[in-house]
Amino acid sequence: MSMTIPLQPSQGRRLLAVMRQECRLMLAERGLWIVGALFLLLVAYALGNGLLQTAHRDRAQAAVAQADRDTRAAQRVQLEAILAGTAQPTPFQNPADPSRMASSYGGHHAILPTAPLGPVALGQSDLFPSQYEVTNQSRVVFMNPSDIESPWHLMSGHFDLAFVIVYLLPLLIFALSYNLLSAERENGTLRLLLSQPLRLRTLLAGKLSVRAAVLLPVAVLLIARQVGWVDASGDVGGATFWWALLVGAYALFWFALVVAVNAFGASSATNAMVLVIAWVLLVLVAPVLLNLAVTQASPAPSRTELATRQRVVTAEAMKRHADLLSADYQHVGRGAILVPRDGKIEIAGRALAMYAIEREVDEAIRPELDRFEAQQAHQQVLLGRFGVVSPAAVAYEGMTALAGTGARRHARFDAQTVAYHEAWKAFFFPRIEARNALMPTDFDRIPAFAWQEEPASLMRHQAVLAVLQLLLPSLLLFGVAAWRLRRFSVA
Amino acid sequence: MSLNWIARREFLERLRDGRLYWAGGLVLVLLLTALAVGWAHQRDARAEQHAAQAMDYRDWLQQDKRHPHDAAHQGMHAFKPEAALAMMDPGINPYIGSTVWLQAHRQSEVKFNAAQDATGLQRFGNLSVGWILQVLGPLLVIVLGFNAFAGEREQGILRQTLSLGVPPLRLLGGKALALAVSLAVLLVPAAIIATIAVAVGAGPGERLDALLRLAAWAFGYAIYLGIFVFLVLGVSAASSTSRMAITVLLALWIGQAVMAPRVLSELSRAWFPSPTRLEFDQALNAERKAVSDEVWQKNFGTTERWGRDVPLSKWGLALQLDDQSSYAVYDRHYGRLWNTWERQQTVQEWSGLLLPILAIRSFSMGMAGTDFAHHRSFTTEAELHRRDIQDLMSKDLVAHADPLGDRHFAYQAPHELWATVPPFDYHPPGAGWALLHQARSLAVLCVALLLAVAFAAFATVRQRAL
Repeated sequence: MSMTIPLQPSQGRRLLAVMRQECRLMLAERGLWIVGALFLLLVAYALGNGLLQTAHRDRAQAAVAQADRDTRAAQRVQLEAILAGTAQPTPFQNPADPSRMASSYGGHHAILPTAPLGPVALGQSDLFPSQYEVTNQSRVVFMNPSDIESPWHLMSGHFDLAFVIVYLLPLLIFALSYNLLSAERENGTLRLLLSQPLRLRTLLAGKLSVRAAVLLPVAVLLIARQVGWVDASGDVGGATFWWALLVGAYALFWFALVVAVNAFGASSATNAMVLVIAWVLLVLVAPVLLNLAVTQASPAPSRTELATRQRVVTAEAMKRHADLLSADYQHVGRGAILVPRDGKIEIAGRALAMYAIEREVDEAIRPELDRFEAQQAHQQVLLGRFGVVSPAAVAYEGMTALAGTGARRHARFDAQTVAYHEAWKAFFFPRIEARNALMPTDFDRIPAFAWQEEPASLMRHQAVLAVLQLLLPSLLLFGVAAWRLRRFSVA
Repeated sequence: MSLNWIARREFLERLRDGRLYWAGGLVLVLLLTALAVGWAHQRDARAEQHAAQAMDYRDWLQQDKRHPHDAAHQGMHAFKPEAALAMMDPGINPYIGSTVWLQAHRQSEVKFNAAQDATGLQRFGNLSVGWILQVLGPLLVIVLGFNAFAGEREQGILRQTLSLGVPPLRLLGGKALALAVSLAVLLVPAAIIATIAVAVGAGPGERLDALLRLAAWAFGYAIYLGIFVFLVLGVSAASSTSRMAITVLLALWIGQAVMAPRVLSELSRAWFPSPTRLEFDQALNAERKAVSDEVWQKNFGTTERWGRDVPLSKWGLALQLDDQSSYAVYDRHYGRLWNTWERQQTVQEWSGLLLPILAIRSFSMGMAGTDFAHHRSFTTEAELHRRDIQDLMSKDLVAHADPLGDRHFAYQAPHELWATVPPFDYHPPGAGWALLHQARSLAVLCVALLLAVAFAAFATVRQRAL
């Protein structure tokens, strides 16, 4: 019946009227207040928690960076004292010796800083290391998770804003709108409403927009304002904008599902059941199955094999340098040997052997490590392609990407760490080979790690893709709804 | 009306309205998928770990003549054996790694966790039998039982039944039995398949232990699901309508299955904070240095390394003294850290009184041999083996100190020395040990069951015929 009414110029005004009326109705009901307050509470807790965790990590990182700087400064002071003849170096703590400074005695950390949106989605920030101590050792040794974190905690995941949006927002949407049409019909008011010059679609649009207006600003706008992510560079604004869009598209999908389910005209109880089952399948089950499918389709190379390979190449390298390893330390009773002379320094045989062994292990193990990187990249590609089976997975991946806590930014950090490691070796290795002592002025030339943030275009690209992957099923559901609404029985 | 009669009628109704078929069928399909995946993964992991461990020791034995300290530096690897029940619940394994490098000078941590090679979806969880039973099991109970009382009240049957003089508690018993039978119809076949898989997958020496563990494991889940059977019936009895019942139950389920693990994990960490890596390392290194200085002062009368007072001929002895003095330091620091983690876990187990998922999670991992207590047992064993290697190598160094006067590293130990180090042969603790370690979570589950029964009984007794 509703569809027989021709489009009238006043539908826009009627939409406003519906929205006004709906607002009044909802304000009078307890449901809105409960859901709104609950959501506000969850968002506040999640956001507070995210900020707390991020601040904790930032503090830990700052302490690491400070310790690096302090150590380097103390080593420089000691070197100056050694050169002035007021201090005596020891064999293992000698800032003039490039083989020592290249090792963990002088090692420096590569640190991945928190992105501006970091607190809203902690993502894999605890699973992937955000700091590596770079030394002349092979990266198979130092590029491993190094944070101290209870495995139980790693397993449980975080209560962050991304969690609230991905898992809980759909449920709140359900709570507000599972009986969008069914309740009106069950109360007999739908017949009354549609006897007015009002299209069913207009009624639905009005009801939806009011509900969206309750939930979305809390998720998007308040947060951006509250935390004050306003940055001169404008990048942050970009990320916040895409975050808002992503949350909007994700919410739209669930609203579309609600409308589609309502359009089938079942009872409120059935609607609620169907929606909850859809939630279980799409949010809980599908991502887990997708994760499983991706790891089965592109399994990670064996870490056990890597450990064995590492041992074998280390043993081979040690064997090659057995002569140097059996050379004796010469400094006992002859401390002067540790002090640089004419810019040169004697490096103990065993120290030279260790340097050569690490260097060779690093070369030999590189192809193995590259396989791990390639496999992870391949998994991520698969995920991008098939993620669409679960809007929850798409939204989550999109949010962590925007927050800088996803796999892509971390892969970038790994790549930059590898580059830094290369620069580190390029600085120290020639000096070790030439037995050049480090001078205080050389300290300024020791490579430092400087994180290069990923370009905004890359972030935009992924966000666009995620939004499209959410819009597509939403449109599909709206299409189904429109098709069903044509034959919607008001009685 | 007898209990059986009530139960039979209820059960038939579940069959007729199709809920048991589709909801149960879905859970069953997921369970079997998870089992198949777990089984394949476990078989591969075990074969690989076994081969790697054997190769590691073979290579150790086949070392040429070399300086013992170099051999110790190269060290050995200890591979954590995949527990026989890991196919049911991988527990913390994907997050903690399985390989320890037993090297000279320092206690190594376990490295190479699977999560570091996974995608972002890792955060949604791993498909495992344990995960399905913990998260989806209660939902299945809710779907099957939310209208057990409320639906009958809406239709007016409840009043009729009660007016016939059927005691409310017997009604509750019958409905609980029906729910239990519905669950058993689904889960018992799955359990039989799982038993076969575990029996086949376990090594010959550990089969009995694995089956004992599986029995205890299944018992834990029976209690867990029992809690929900009575909770669902209680809420259904206390609610005026089915709609009310399902809303309350779903809210409770989301609170416990989805939100509680995250919230409690974060709360427990706030309660018992663990140190950062930097703090831990700084404290550890400072104490190692202090203890080492003390030992040097006591034994050599100086803390100056390799001066005239302590020539390199004492290198082996100094190494031995340093190593042995450091053991207690490591035990203290790692012990403190691990105790903190265990305290965090205790908080979560206690919260199982109100949020049973936290207790069953712990119990499930514990019986599967994939919890932190088992991990700690492995790490401790691996560290003891490392110390054995170090002590044997240092002893040989002391015995062969400085043969030529100025060539302290020229010494090459003979081939026979390597064979004095035994292979790393780790056997995880038995089912009894695991049960003892999980006594708390099991007790919490039992108390939670009693609470749920009491609640259901209270809510049912309040039903009136008129």
